[in-house]
Amino acid sequence: MSKTGPGRIIFSQDEIQLRISEVAAQINRDYEGQKLIVVSVLKGSIYFVADLTRCLTIPLKIDFLSTRVPSEATRKHTGGIQFVKDLDYDLQGQHVLLVEDVIGTGLTLGLVRQHLEAARPASLKVCTLLNNPAGRLLPIQIDYCCFTMPDLYLVGYGLDHEEEYRNLPYIAEYRRG
Amino acid sequence: MLITISRQTGSMGEEITQQLARNMNIPLLTRDLAMKKVFPSVATPHEMHMLAESPAFFMTQSSDGLTFAQHLESRLKAQVDQGPVIIFGMGAQIVFADRPDALHVRIIASPAVRIDRIIKKRGLEPKDAERFLELSDRKHKRYISTIYGKDWSDPSLYHVILNTDKLGIDEAARFIQYMAENRQSPALAESATGAEDQEQQVIFKHPSEEEFARILDMHGLDWEYEPRTFPIKWDAEGNVIQAFSPDFYLPKFDTYIELTTMDQRYVAQKKKKVQMLRKLYPGTNINIVFKRDFNTLVKRFGLMKGEEPNE
Repeated sequence: MSKTGPGRIIFSQDEIQLRISEVAAQINRDYEGQKLIVVSVLKGSIYFVADLTRCLTIPLKIDFLSTRVPSEATRKHTGGIQFVKDLDYDLQGQHVLLVEDVIGTGLTLGLVRQHLEAARPASLKVCTLLNNPAGRLLPIQIDYCCFTMPDLYLVGYGLDHEEEYRNLPYIAEYRRG
Repeated sequence: MLITISRQTGSMGEEITQQLARNMNIPLLTRDLAMKKVFPSVATPHEMHMLAESPAFFMTQSSDGLTFAQHLESRLKAQVDQGPVIIFGMGAQIVFADRPDALHVRIIASPAVRIDRIIKKRGLEPKDAERFLELSDRKHKRYISTIYGKDWSDPSLYHVILNTDKLGIDEAARFIQYMAENRQSPALAESATGAEDQEQQVIFKHPSEEEFARILDMHGLDWEYEPRTFPIKWDAEGNVIQAFSPDFYLPKFDTYIELTTMDQRYVAQKKKKVQMLRKLYPGTNINIVFKRDFNTLVKRFGLMKGEEPNE
């Protein structure tokens, strides 16, 4: 009988770092001669954005967004998903790269994109660690993608199960026992 | 309240719009005003000259990286957010196409009447008046097609099209005022009450659809419930024998969404309908939410108890 918790490694530490360096090289080429603001959505993308930006050679600033789903009790008053940490920088006229951990349905990305577009950046591209195009509901272009998401529940390298396992240096399948 | 006016030269659109602004006592934004107020802070004298001459130049990036068209749009939006306004030209019927409190008006007249008015107004010969109109129409059309890729004369861009062949300035202005004021209440009520009232007005066929609407609301995504029915099968005489009404339409993403959360026996049937729709209506975006994905979303947003999944 298998136990509950992280199981088989799906993407090893080396695989992740290699792929990130490849994607970073592409970003360096695409933004050559330009300045970039990298916006990361907390918390799932913390390790990804840290490793990705250390491979980028173009001048850049890093900013963070954090969203919260209001509880059922407060939802009537607060409305939908809230930005509990908003941007520190003004994005108007800037080239912006949004960095996500996982893009599945695209609903969260749609919300974040609308929020960023309202700041009128010069350009807005999307980079994700894991992409799950099979589950996509909104036709949003993904400009840079490290891996296609397998049909599994994953933990590690920022991805959690009830806030645990984010700090694993690799991405593993989460087994439910 | 927002009224956008698009007009043919010689249709008296300018005079009607000025009368309307006076009658309603609300600001009127014109291209001349935009050229004076918007661009001097972002354009060099040469660029100002080019903007006055060439619609294509609006797509040029200014020194801060935004195109001049983006600057104009931004200022128009800021003005509209401040209160009631009439916008004359500038593609406002497209910029504000989805704004619920907007009334988009086009003012036209027949070629013969327009030529006659131009002859009287400008003292031109008939042939020159005809040429004057031709060039003027072409310039207006090119501005909209260059910047927005739309056909200026497309009736679907407007709520109302007024033919002024047999209408006076004052009665046309009063007609637009009546339309705007009587349209305003329900439109504003709908936009002000937001998602919850939208839910109340819609009668969903299944609770899962209501839950999905709530998920879309939480993401700040505008939606419409079953807004369109696509015929997908016809008999030999051309009568529709099968049609498909996707559950949701997300206008900002131009995407239909169909839920398959109820009886899984119908999944294959729905997949087939979606395939037929894609084949018959190329370019239509439609995606299916399967039961597992739906449950994942519902759990994620605390609409049911469960563990939070990836994403």
